[in-house]
Amino acid sequence: MMEHGQEAISDVRSAIGNAGGRVIRFLVRGVKQAFGLNPPGRNLIVNRDDVFIVSYPKSGNTWTRFLIANLVYPEKNPDFSNINDLLPDPEAVSKRDLERAVRPRFLKSHQYFDPRFQKVIYIVRDPRDVVLSEYHFDIKRRAIAEDYPLPQFVSRFVRGEVNHPHGTWGENAATWFYTRHGDARFLLVKYEDLQSRAMVEMAKIASFLGLPADRERLALAIGQSSAERMRELEQKQAHLWSSTRETRKDKPFVRSAKAGGWKAELPAASVAEIESAWGGLMREMGYELVHAGMARG
Amino acid sequence: MMKHLIAGIQRGLGLHRPGRSLLILPDDVFLVSFPKSGNTWTRFLLANLIFPETPATFANIHRLIPDPFATTKREFLRIPQPRVIKSHECFDPRYPRVIYIVRDPRDVALSQYHYHRKVKRIADDYSMTTFVTRFLAGETCPHGSWGQNVATWLITRREEDSRFLLLRYEDMVADTARELGKIAAFLDIAASPERIAQTVERSSADHMRKLEQAQSEDCLLTKDSRKDLSFVRSAKAGGWRSGLPEAEAARLEDAWGHLMSHLGYEPLSSEKAANFDSRFAASILNGCAR
Repeated sequence: MMEHGQEAISDVRSAIGNAGGRVIRFLVRGVKQAFGLNPPGRNLIVNRDDVFIVSYPKSGNTWTRFLIANLVYPEKNPDFSNINDLLPDPEAVSKRDLERAVRPRFLKSHQYFDPRFQKVIYIVRDPRDVVLSEYHFDIKRRAIAEDYPLPQFVSRFVRGEVNHPHGTWGENAATWFYTRHGDARFLLVKYEDLQSRAMVEMAKIASFLGLPADRERLALAIGQSSAERMRELEQKQAHLWSSTRETRKDKPFVRSAKAGGWKAELPAASVAEIESAWGGLMREMGYELVHAGMARG
Repeated sequence: MMKHLIAGIQRGLGLHRPGRSLLILPDDVFLVSFPKSGNTWTRFLLANLIFPETPATFANIHRLIPDPFATTKREFLRIPQPRVIKSHECFDPRYPRVIYIVRDPRDVALSQYHYHRKVKRIADDYSMTTFVTRFLAGETCPHGSWGQNVATWLITRREEDSRFLLLRYEDMVADTARELGKIAAFLDIAASPERIAQTVERSSADHMRKLEQAQSEDCLLTKDSRKDLSFVRSAKAGGWRSGLPEAEAARLEDAWGHLMSHLGYEPLSSEKAANFDSRFAASILNGCAR
């Protein structure tokens, strides 16, 4: 119905010409607003019982989303076609659909600290791997060329000149970590732990969410969210999902799905640059530094 | 439906308040603080410094130093650049430059308690213990707790950062002209001692009290609130020593002592001061979470 409406509007617009264009744009925005068809983003109306899966981009958020969706809704067979319904992203899903979602809602987020978020699972990943993942993703979505120099990309990443509005890795992680760490409504999960001991971490997540944590159910959720299965689903469904729809098809979204890739791929100077920016926080979160002197204090 | 239509029309005409959707410009400066930390006073100081030809009042302040939750989009478009914008938000990476005002949380709690009485959110006999419990949990306003709001800014912006100016309310009370000089330098405004003195005078507590009496109905901050209590209250530092029960002050220190000592807010007993975990100050604030 929406598409029809927009077609009609674009006909009208060309008929009136540019002078009327601005008025029409206002009208379209007003109508969309009135029907709640825009994604609310940071203007999301937060409920007290909402559960947020938060992470900096490229930190295993999609994988965790699949893990949790498979844990909470095993009967719905979560895949790329329905993940936005099961575990919606307020930056991609309309206000109206968010308001209609079943409570308690499980929501995906990349936001830096938001005091309104009551119950939060924060996924953190080694920034030396995050930058590599972001680099490959930006090539996939054509934000940078394939031959863009990696060291230059790392410098921009450290300065916060990234293709998204979620702050630097340090800003995003620190604003959550130092405000909520130790709080019973905050669960910090390391991507690396999720890789190396999925059962243990999933049991923590299940108990945090108040869900039964029997081995069978956890193992099923982990199996249904494995990198191989997600790669298969991506091949069939990339056109169905907002994050992959208009991106290069020769580059996968589900890439290495491993920890520590930076050791082979990231130049030493780039490693030093990241550690000098965020060394203290990295060490606090249990990431071993190559340059031990980098964390001041 | 009617409500939605009206909202849509208001949006079309720019009569809505942009809130978090405000379009931020690269040369914007944000005046940020937790509520009840001297934000309105600093707003007056800034307005009188930047626009000496338009003395700030409670009626025009939202057009001089706009507030995205009170100033309409249309009014925003009329404000000359670079704009100085009021905010109570926790860390926001989109803010290009920030003046952050911090105040002793023991005074903030007391000030917020009296403000909530004035705006009829609590009764005169509301328990201070209950209020402090809610204050600690960040439930007395939508901007996080005092500790969260302050920490998100201090861990992300270093003091030597040219995008960030940290001021203590207490220092501003003690030597307003000196601290205003820092603000002028931060904003690149060449202010003569005369201009600074005039700004301080036009923003004094006495002057603001007079303006409040004359204009309280014209101002969103005070409209519909009790007229027997004033918005501009003591305008002093350290009122908690007589106004806040010792047990409540101690609870605030237990929660935020490390942050407080970093900011120079001494706890009640020196024995307690020695016990504070200095990790926050040493390891976190020393620039590892830029």
